Amino acid sequence: MWGVYLEQLLQSLPFFLQGLWMTIAVSGLSLMAGTAVGFLWGILRSSRRRVAKALIGAWVDVIRGTPFLVQIFVLFFILPEFGVHLEAFPAAVLALSNLAACFICEIVSAGIESVPHGQREAAVASGLNGYQQLRHVILPQALRVMLPPLVGQYVLLIKDSSVVSAIGVVDVTRVGWLTVQRIPQGILVFGLVGLLYFAICYPLIQLSNALEKRLGRSARR
Amino acid sequence: MIEFRDVHKWFGDLHVLKGINLHVAPGEVLVVCGPSGSGKSTLIRTINRLETIQKGELIVDGMKVHDPRTPMTKLRAEIGFVFQQFNLYPHMTALENVTLAPIKVRRIPRREAEEQGKEVLAKVGLADKLYQYPAQLSGGQQQRVAIARGLCMRPKIMLFDEPTSALDPEMINEVLEVMRALAHEGMTMIVVTHEMGFAREVAHRVAFMDYGELIEIAPPEEFFARPRSERTRHFLSKILTH
Amino acid sequence: MLETFNIRVILEYLPLYGSCLLATLWLSGAGLAGSLGVGCVACALRTSRFRMLSLPAAAYIESIRSTPLLAQLYFLYFGLPSLGVPVSETTVGILALTLNSGAYMAEIIRGGIQSIAPGQIEAAISSGLSYLQRMRAVVLPQAIGITLPPMLGQAIVLVKDSALLSLISLMELTRAGQILTSERFMPAEGFLTSAVFYLMIYSALKTLTVWSRKRLIYLHTG
Repeated sequence: MWGVYLEQLLQSLPFFLQGLWMTIAVSGLSLMAGTAVGFLWGILRSSRRRVAKALIGAWVDVIRGTPFLVQIFVLFFILPEFGVHLEAFPAAVLALSNLAACFICEIVSAGIESVPHGQREAAVASGLNGYQQLRHVILPQALRVMLPPLVGQYVLLIKDSSVVSAIGVVDVTRVGWLTVQRIPQGILVFGLVGLLYFAICYPLIQLSNALEKRLGRSARR
Repeated sequence: MIEFRDVHKWFGDLHVLKGINLHVAPGEVLVVCGPSGSGKSTLIRTINRLETIQKGELIVDGMKVHDPRTPMTKLRAEIGFVFQQFNLYPHMTALENVTLAPIKVRRIPRREAEEQGKEVLAKVGLADKLYQYPAQLSGGQQQRVAIARGLCMRPKIMLFDEPTSALDPEMINEVLEVMRALAHEGMTMIVVTHEMGFAREVAHRVAFMDYGELIEIAPPEEFFARPRSERTRHFLSKILTH
Repeated sequence: MLETFNIRVILEYLPLYGSCLLATLWLSGAGLAGSLGVGCVACALRTSRFRMLSLPAAAYIESIRSTPLLAQLYFLYFGLPSLGVPVSETTVGILALTLNSGAYMAEIIRGGIQSIAPGQIEAAISSGLSYLQRMRAVVLPQAIGITLPPMLGQAIVLVKDSALLSLISLMELTRAGQILTSERFMPAEGFLTSAVFYLMIYSALKTLTVWSRKRLIYLHTG
């Protein structure tokens, strides 16, 4: 019996690959936007600008404290009340970018704080300006600490992107949901969905572990 | 009390103990010195089988440590071990640190164990630190708690693995003071250390190890005045110039 | 929007939110308890010397960590009935949370045990403590102290993850927002109220995390 279903499933493989492409597009775009914004917020947060710090801190707490599903519903259903009509795709990218930015912001500010205070003092003493201190002294050292959790965060981002299927973005999870209505074999259909996610996420997790081992060891010296 | 007969030990390809022969009598204080990597730490760690030996015989308090069938827990209760890094349990107070093994291994009632623990902590000069956690104590105080932890088992032998190497200079003396008192009470001790003043004053014999071999062993007067081996002389000239 | 923000409707639906808050707490609490059990077992198997035990445990942990919870949830929700196993939505929901979180718990526990300095175990061996005595008196108390903050972090994740259970039509906080949206066409009131309740749980758990980190100061040195 499974043979028939397996054949049907293989026939809809192109559909799954389209879904996979959508997953990659949503998480890829959010990854780039989230990293850029997250770095900016993280740097501001570890600076001495008190208002910016408090605002970013509060926003990060709100985003960390609520489910992503609720965030995406808020964005998708409430913005129209302001007269802003977003399609599912840009809404998904916006919500996911914001989520990523909040988590990356924490990683960045923790990374910056991990650099010993003497480093900044040395940079100040040699006459570097604020930007130069950051660019040439602080960030290169902070990056060592930040890289493994950053890659780990990208894995979370890809996994979280599955939630955008709830507002109708046709990503891999949504393709699975649509397919299972036709081919009522949940194990088979979502086994395939899982396999596709695994193919992207597993190598990234290994990369994060390897980075942690390499950078962690050299950072301790 | 402790007898090494042609003891060998390898870490993979690395031959770290190369045929050690050594006899330590009851009540004897032996100081072992030597450059880092010479095998001196490994030597005393074999005595309570923190490291297993691969060849030769090692007999401690009449028990065959080289024999895998020998029940070590019993023997270990008779041997106090003091580590370079103290290794106090960070989640327990000083008193809890010293009473854990008497209660669990010796099965002494808690009351009694605490009485004795307080006594021993007082003896090492920490009567006022019973309820402090290790993180609240200085390095010297932590090491004294660690010594007290060993003493609370009423051991027949005390082993010290570079007990002062991790300490700030001003704390070294308070720890050596405790060890000195212990030696005068007639405790059998093996001490791995570079504190040559302590060796000269307290040790019955001083041993020098290099590349896994026992190069020289002699009473301190002789060891320091007329070292027989060139390597011993070289080593002493390096550490005594400080 | 502010003039359309209808407090009265929220008050009217407050009893619904109350029972949904309890449902969220119960679902994630059950998931937490389940995942602690699964995590302990998976960690024990994962660190076993026998590959017959460690390989399946590793496969479970890695496959959970490499796939989204939503896909796992649908896998069970559509998969179990297709295998002829009749299960209720609640069971599927708790099972999904348990299996998902269990893999992360296993890693947290493993990290906690590994982070105990080897000298601690050597000291315990030297005093003649047996394996069980060492585990009970020295290793576990420290491991629990070390793992408490990440476990509370995992509890926060669990509460948020339980929102996905609304997608298999379980009643909980997010579902309450959906109901308000569909019955009264008031998504702002609906979902923002849900969000406020989530934030309340979050701040309680976060306070607990901060407190547990402070208590850990003893363990960081020494």
